[in-house]
Amino acid sequence: MFLSINWLKEFTPYTGSLDELAHQLTMLGLEVEEVLNPFAHLEPFLVGHVLDCSPHQNADSLSCCQVDIGGETPVAVVCGAPNVAAGQKVAVAPVGSSLPGGMKIKKAKIRGALSQGMICSEKELELSEDHSGIMVLDPKCTPGTGLLQALNLDTVVLDIGITPNRADCLSILGLAREVAAAFDLPLHLPEFQLQEEGEACSSLIRIQIDAPELCPLYQARIIQGLSIRPSPAWMRYRLLSMGLRPINNVVDVSNYVMLELGQPLHAFDRSLLEGGVIRVGCAADGQKFTTLDNQERVLGSGDLLIQDGVKPVALAGVMGGANSEINAHSTDLLLESAVFDPGNTRRTGRSLGLSSESAYRFERGVDQPGSTFALDRAAGLIQSLAGGRICTGRAVSEPRPWTPRVVDFRPKRAQSLLALSTDAAASQKVLENIGCGVRPLHDKTLRVTPPSYRLDLEREVDLIEEIGRFHGFERIEAALPRIRKSPLDADAQVLGASLASHEFLNRTKTWAQGQGYAEAVNYSFCSRQELESLGLADEGIIPVHNPLSAEQDSMRPALAPGLLRNVRTNLDQGNQNLRFFEIARVFQHDPRSETTAREANRLGLLCHGRRNPSFWPWTDEAVSYLDLKGAIEHFFLSLGLEPARFSPGDAPQYCRSRIRMTLRGEDIGFLGRVQPGIAKDLYHARTPVWISEIDLDVLYRLSRGQSVVYRPWVKFPPVQRDITLICPPEVSYSQIQDVIAASNIPAQESISLQDVYQPDQSFECNLTLRITYRHHKKTLTDKEVDKQHFELGKKLLKALPVRFPA
Amino acid sequence: MTGEDFAGRLEAIERDFARALERLEREADLEALRVAYLGRKGSLAQLMSSLPELPAEQRPAAGKRANECKKTLLDLLSAKQDALQAGGQTADRSRFDATLPGRRDWIGSKHPVTLVLDEICAAFTAIGFDVVTGPEIENDFYNFEALNIPREHPARDMQDTLYISDSIVLRTHTSPLQIRTMETSPPPLAVIAPGKVYRRDADLTHTPMFHQIEGLLVDEEVSMADLRGTLTYFVRTIFSKKTRVRFRPSYFPFTEPSAEVDISCVICRGTGFCGADPCRVCKQTGWVEILGCGMVDPAVFEKVDYDPERWTGFAFGLGVERVAMLKYCIDDLRLFFENDVRFLNQFQAC
Ligand SMILES: [Zn+2]
Repeated sequence: MFLSINWLKEFTPYTGSLDELAHQLTMLGLEVEEVLNPFAHLEPFLVGHVLDCSPHQNADSLSCCQVDIGGETPVAVVCGAPNVAAGQKVAVAPVGSSLPGGMKIKKAKIRGALSQGMICSEKELELSEDHSGIMVLDPKCTPGTGLLQALNLDTVVLDIGITPNRADCLSILGLAREVAAAFDLPLHLPEFQLQEEGEACSSLIRIQIDAPELCPLYQARIIQGLSIRPSPAWMRYRLLSMGLRPINNVVDVSNYVMLELGQPLHAFDRSLLEGGVIRVGCAADGQKFTTLDNQERVLGSGDLLIQDGVKPVALAGVMGGANSEINAHSTDLLLESAVFDPGNTRRTGRSLGLSSESAYRFERGVDQPGSTFALDRAAGLIQSLAGGRICTGRAVSEPRPWTPRVVDFRPKRAQSLLALSTDAAASQKVLENIGCGVRPLHDKTLRVTPPSYRLDLEREVDLIEEIGRFHGFERIEAALPRIRKSPLDADAQVLGASLASHEFLNRTKTWAQGQGYAEAVNYSFCSRQELESLGLADEGIIPVHNPLSAEQDSMRPALAPGLLRNVRTNLDQGNQNLRFFEIARVFQHDPRSETTAREANRLGLLCHGRRNPSFWPWTDEAVSYLDLKGAIEHFFLSLGLEPARFSPGDAPQYCRSRIRMTLRGEDIGFLGRVQPGIAKDLYHARTPVWISEIDLDVLYRLSRGQSVVYRPWVKFPPVQRDITLICPPEVSYSQIQDVIAASNIPAQESISLQDVYQPDQSFECNLTLRITYRHHKKTLTDKEVDKQHFELGKKLLKALPVRFPA
Repeated sequence: MTGEDFAGRLEAIERDFARALERLEREADLEALRVAYLGRKGSLAQLMSSLPELPAEQRPAAGKRANECKKTLLDLLSAKQDALQAGGQTADRSRFDATLPGRRDWIGSKHPVTLVLDEICAAFTAIGFDVVTGPEIENDFYNFEALNIPREHPARDMQDTLYISDSIVLRTHTSPLQIRTMETSPPPLAVIAPGKVYRRDADLTHTPMFHQIEGLLVDEEVSMADLRGTLTYFVRTIFSKKTRVRFRPSYFPFTEPSAEVDISCVICRGTGFCGADPCRVCKQTGWVEILGCGMVDPAVFEKVDYDPERWTGFAFGLGVERVAMLKYCIDDLRLFFENDVRFLNQFQAC
């Protein structure tokens, strides 16, 4: 909401500084976001006095003028306007200034004549559309004064952010009330003349409200015999300063009064209304109606219409109809001042994608008793600008008259909630200052009647806020609270779903950072198209109903799209050798969930480029399966979990080597290399990209409740024996591990892989294992170990198609 | 053999050992010398094995003398080793460059949002708050309705919403956790709720996803002084002890009274100027808006069946990116979600 300081001063005699005013408003919750001068572009322009005006020797349409712009000598200006004449006071753009359109004024020769400036039209000054000639100023203006002062323009306007609860502050009057209360100043309502004559308005038009719950009050006045013209300068300039485009005297007055008093008004051309009746009622479903912006709208049964005897004429509170709009030839009008239901107005505006200053105010609530004053004020102003006769009285229907609210207020409660020491008398003064009626009920309670324009004051706590506002939140002392609470257990900390705790996720982040991965944070949405290209677009994808763009039209079911995009972004920037992790939710449709979505916490790991952070003293190798697998094994060990099982699996499709991980029979994620074609074409990666996603909620569940219990170690010495197996391709290391684990060799303690060697041109592979033997009660002799080791070798040969080297 | 012979041979061993040691030049050869003289089959051991041949009364003295000899040899050996090592450092200089890069491994980093989020959570858990989390896809009820934002309330305009369906939204704030917490736990309670939130908004200063932290404390006789104290503590923990805090009245449907909190600008220290240049972060006001807060609206308590006459409380919500931008002087919000490693790597030391 704009607040022109000049306009404000018409309501309350504020004389302090602008800074103080802005600060005080901000500290009252009316945040001054900007101080602006709506006419800043006119700053360099001056009042000029045309001393002499003679025709240009070389051009019939031009005049050569001598113009006094306050300097020692007049300046020569060549002017092409037909209406320029000696003796006029005019607006001059001097050399060095620029027109609002951007044209720079320079000293020039025009058809041989010197010109040191430009005499401007209103259009050139962006004050109106008038380009028929130059703008002629009041003869009383002094040459050389700034145009801004000469026109008495509103050059200081505050842009104030109005919170949705403060409908009353969507007007100069409302803001003036706050200023008056804050600085203890009087408040003056605008004074106006209203000369009624002739027939009673109510005999010319009948108001019938069919939906009283949506329209508690509808009233109108009729003005006859007026003439539509442009508004006078003061009105036009004021609307311009408030950011509104002047239209004609009637429309301008209804806008002006809306800004001034907060009551939206609508003027109908009465000659276009039929049947002598105004009916307020709901539209039929599917009914069509053309609003005054010439758009045909399809209405629903909840949309409220203003209708005459035969047709709809306005979308109540939102926009008038094209069929009854004021036009240049209108002479009779019906001026509406009504109150419409906030919620319904908003619903209509939203469903039709239609917003207006009027709807904005009705949505937030208008002052019902105040609407009569606004109607009379507007009628008086129209009469003074457009002439005409105001019919006697108003046509009114008020099925739901305004009833003041009564709120009981306990000063003690205010004191304890605000931690301010204010007594009942001080509270009473604040409440009276903002227009409340206050009556002490007994020593502990005040009975408060908030004014009709403060729709936000409904409950005691609303009044408490007013006390706080006017005493100043800044006077509240800071104190740390005592914290009493029943400690929540870990399960109670995740609400609405069974997910990993915040602490577990944090611990995982710390682990990943320690492993040398950089944390990425990506949007939770991705594009359906991208999911399709990765083969992730199966039926569980949750679409976003109203996405900002197609790139964000789906909730991500996996972290891969974001991480892969990070690869592309970085490679495009020349950043190579990437290691990312991300911990975030993924989403899957789930009709059984109260939110229709299943959310799960995932850990995503991605690496690409070199295995090591530098060349020397490392070797230059590309990252491989074992690097990422090693990191994951490290992670599980750090959680106290046993090693997971890695085995070829079927998903996801965008990976070439697809390895699924299972732990205690539960699927916990995958690990794989992105298909080279996808990596290169979509993500610009020419060397392997390895990626893994791990379900952290499952891991959290599996690793929870583990506690470390110290176990003494066996004190007898170990004995180690190596064994080398020649393995065909179908034998995997884990099969060997499984056979040894199942071998039941009593003293066999552990195994470690010593070497993997694949001779040239052989499909077979030599695995060398070191087996550790240890007895928990005695030192083993060489003989005992040899026997067990031999036994183990036999079991391996029997269970698997392996052999020993010759 | 007599005791004298024995002593003479010990002396000879010492003498030979000393001579051999003198000639020795490489540290690697020390071990061979040690084995030759002091090893299990070395000269000293061989001599010792003849000890029983001595007359019984001479044996103790000879044994003692042999031990002395052993000690002498060991001392000489270790002195020589020290000398060789000291000399070796100069001798090997050509092959040892202490300035070559070490075998340094990758350094990872946490995202600045995580860092700030952690720090804020730590500040609050330190004074007794619990951390709670909840769903990011929310019911209209938790995101709006229960927070006193009915349908067709103009307050819905304060947050442009991304919808999944008519009644399911991407949560626009972490405030639904207020309701979920109170539904789950009886008062008194003190929780903070960090997480991602979503708005249908994208420009220089808005991203469609960002992070918030919600705070809620409910007890008897909680006042705005408690709210002020808690937030002042928080601000001074995260920024500096000298940060000033300003409360301005504002409006949120689920708090009453409501306030916006400004802190003295951390970039220009509240002066409005950085040197001679006007501060761009606070637009010369000396204040930056950092969070919204207020006393829990009684209407919210009624939704979760808390008695608003008995229980009062405060709630606050703050944007994590905003704090991170101030803390790390980041001037472009979009950097947070581009994940350029030149950005991420700058947080390795955090
Ligand atoms: Zn600053």
